[in-house]
Amino acid sequence: MSRIVVTGIGIISAIGDNADSNRTALQNGICGISSIDLFETKYAKELPFGEIKISNAVLKGHLRVSFPGVTRTSLLAQHAFEQAIADSNLSSEDLSDESTAFITGNTVGGMCLTDELYNDANKRSTDSPYVNSYDLGSVTVYLQELYKIRGISNTINTACSSSANAIMYGARLLKYGKAKRAIVGGVDSLAKFTINGFNALHILSSQQCKPFDQNRSGLNLGEGAAFLILEREEDCIQKKKYAILSGYSNANDAYHASSLSDTGEGPYAAMTEALKNAQLQPADISFINAHGTGTENNDLVEGVAMKRIFEKVPPFASSKSNTGHTLGAAGAIEAVYSILSIQHQELYPSLHFNQSIDTLALEPLQTFQKSTVRHVMSNSFGFAGNCSSLIFSEI
Amino acid sequence: MGTPELKYQLKEQIIKFLNLISVTPEDIKDDEPLFGEGLGLDSIDSLELIVLMDREYGIKITDPKEGRKILVDINTMVDYIEKNRTK
Amino acid sequence: MFYIHQSSCISAQKAFSDPSETSLTASVNNKLYACDANYDMIPPNTLRRLGKAVKMGIATGMQVINQQAVDGIVIGTANGGLEDCIKFLNQIIEFEEGRLTPTNFVQSTTNAIAGQLGIMTVNKGYNITHVHRGLAFENALIDTEMLLQENPDRSYLIGGVDEISEYNYTIDTLAGCYKKEDVSNKNLLRAASAGSMAGEGAAMFLVNNSKQDAQASIRAIKTLHSTEFDSIEKTIQDFIQEHVSGEEKIDLILSGKNGDARLDAYYEKCVSLLPANTPVGYYKQLTGEFSTATAIALWIAVTLLSTNRLNALLEIPATLQPKNILLYNTCRGNQHSLILISKP
Repeated sequence: MSRIVVTGIGIISAIGDNADSNRTALQNGICGISSIDLFETKYAKELPFGEIKISNAVLKGHLRVSFPGVTRTSLLAQHAFEQAIADSNLSSEDLSDESTAFITGNTVGGMCLTDELYNDANKRSTDSPYVNSYDLGSVTVYLQELYKIRGISNTINTACSSSANAIMYGARLLKYGKAKRAIVGGVDSLAKFTINGFNALHILSSQQCKPFDQNRSGLNLGEGAAFLILEREEDCIQKKKYAILSGYSNANDAYHASSLSDTGEGPYAAMTEALKNAQLQPADISFINAHGTGTENNDLVEGVAMKRIFEKVPPFASSKSNTGHTLGAAGAIEAVYSILSIQHQELYPSLHFNQSIDTLALEPLQTFQKSTVRHVMSNSFGFAGNCSSLIFSEI
Repeated sequence: MGTPELKYQLKEQIIKFLNLISVTPEDIKDDEPLFGEGLGLDSIDSLELIVLMDREYGIKITDPKEGRKILVDINTMVDYIEKNRTK
Repeated sequence: MFYIHQSSCISAQKAFSDPSETSLTASVNNKLYACDANYDMIPPNTLRRLGKAVKMGIATGMQVINQQAVDGIVIGTANGGLEDCIKFLNQIIEFEEGRLTPTNFVQSTTNAIAGQLGIMTVNKGYNITHVHRGLAFENALIDTEMLLQENPDRSYLIGGVDEISEYNYTIDTLAGCYKKEDVSNKNLLRAASAGSMAGEGAAMFLVNNSKQDAQASIRAIKTLHSTEFDSIEKTIQDFIQEHVSGEEKIDLILSGKNGDARLDAYYEKCVSLLPANTPVGYYKQLTGEFSTATAIALWIAVTLLSTNRLNALLEIPATLQPKNILLYNTCRGNQHSLILISKP
């Protein structure tokens, strides 16, 4: 069966608005989680966030968006999307060819506009420009119409694993001949909806998150977007290639709506099946980009599942200590980081770690290092038990 | 309000707040555990009850672990409400 | 190509679930609410938290899974538990981001239906939620087609669900999706104005690669994003040419025509591309319009392959017993889908 390769990447997060700046920040252990400047919420002073310090007005200027009704979620998506298609040299004919698929994962859509949505939903407005921009599909539809993308298009929501599943769906469309190239990724912007939702569940930390630390106190929400261009190796012989998407899987924890089982059934199944799909052994994995949100439940359970699979757990880190948890974008952002690790043969450290979780005795990687990187596993686990793992490999 | 009335009112509020199906205040015993056995509530319900304590009685419980000690049964909740209510 | 073995449906029409019922259920205030279903299979401590979309999804899903276990769950829903979503939103504004109750938040995420079905049946397999507006269910079909190529011996639960929420109704009315004047569903398709009528429902199917005892086969699915007539015309022509060959013919077009005069031309175009005497059936006057209404259309098509009890409601000849049915639908004139379904 054809190998699926990555021929373009685009990214924006709290630590940079392109792949190079993200890489430099990762190398230097930069944390983009801080007090909020742009987004208005009651929690601006109490909680830190992985906010992108670029206003909507500036984003619109860069992206030449002068029409109404475009949400921040769509703008962030467009920013990463345009980088990715330029990086892979896709022409406008390529984009509107019916064999081009476009798959986005996201969880808030236009609900970043909480107040506008409230007014529109409760009959307090008359001529809102956003009435077609709230649903999750609106982000994908916006870019489809902007770039005349006509082929198979989709929006996926599996909570925090949404864009990992978008990547997986795109790869499968290529494998089964339903598309010739796939633009895949995800996006989410900060929203009162998610801030208050996670806060109601008491899992937001008032400090910068400490993934895999004994004294971790919750996650920080972030925002961002990333897209990859996937193609079959034989269709892009002449093109620059970053890495192979060698394995993927989707499984369910089948335990609870908002927490993972003690034994990590879903994470275990996702990682095991991804290895099987890539035809790799656990010992082949050079590095794990962990889901590592910094919540009590996730990090313990992910560690338990890693120990069940790996006789010796390979170096691992959580880049959520750099970017915050970008929800629907996380799987795609971390796919880009995994690809950068492979491209440059280097590993990026996890931040804010002090002390191992008692029962796990696992330490994430804490220093930047050059290293031989053949296969990187990237984990994404979400509410409703939605667990996915991707494996990227050296060409 | 005396303790028995407060207990009855609290049971009504819990039923309404958690949308308990075919449960009446009479079905909830004062010393019956709210979580696990008994009413069978779970961790999300405990977060809901923390909001109930805030909205109905002006009691702010910031640490869910602290909440677990207060939200044992109707007796412990009423005891805490009587001592700490601000409305 | 893959096969449908079990199917279940909750819709506005009593006649769909109760074969003794033959009359059309009328709309109320420009909406076609789904009939109340039996939710006894949902444990009370789960049921109390669920909104209508999640309940409908679980009820239809469990009805299928109770017949035969599945290896994975593939759901299409544009909005999931939207009522809960906006309830939570209202709390954010009304309590000024104060202390809020998490249940609405947890249940409002669109993946709650697939997740809850996974939890209730302890299904650790593939679990996904497609939310691409008017192509959410179609993507569930495409996904399932690939799953059955990857894992030829497995069975999957696939379904589409959406609910009417008051809030969404308001927003979509502002967006021009629904009629502003009073209309009855009996006259919906004869209306000459913009907008349709809101509907809701759920339909679920058990699918696998086994032809034996199957109710129907899904032979092809095609989606397109475009507003250009030429492009849509070519897609429909190519689809028919590729999938309907030789002696075969389409016995029935199940058209997604929804009473929105702005979209009539698309549906007329589709009909015009088939032989002149091809019968056309309509269902949106029965189900109302919603993003995953094609899931109900698929349930109707499966039913039509084995019985003619719905023919009168669909206003097609009483004796028509189709073997090949073409479903064509457009959501807002830019998302288009074609599904070919046949007697196995």
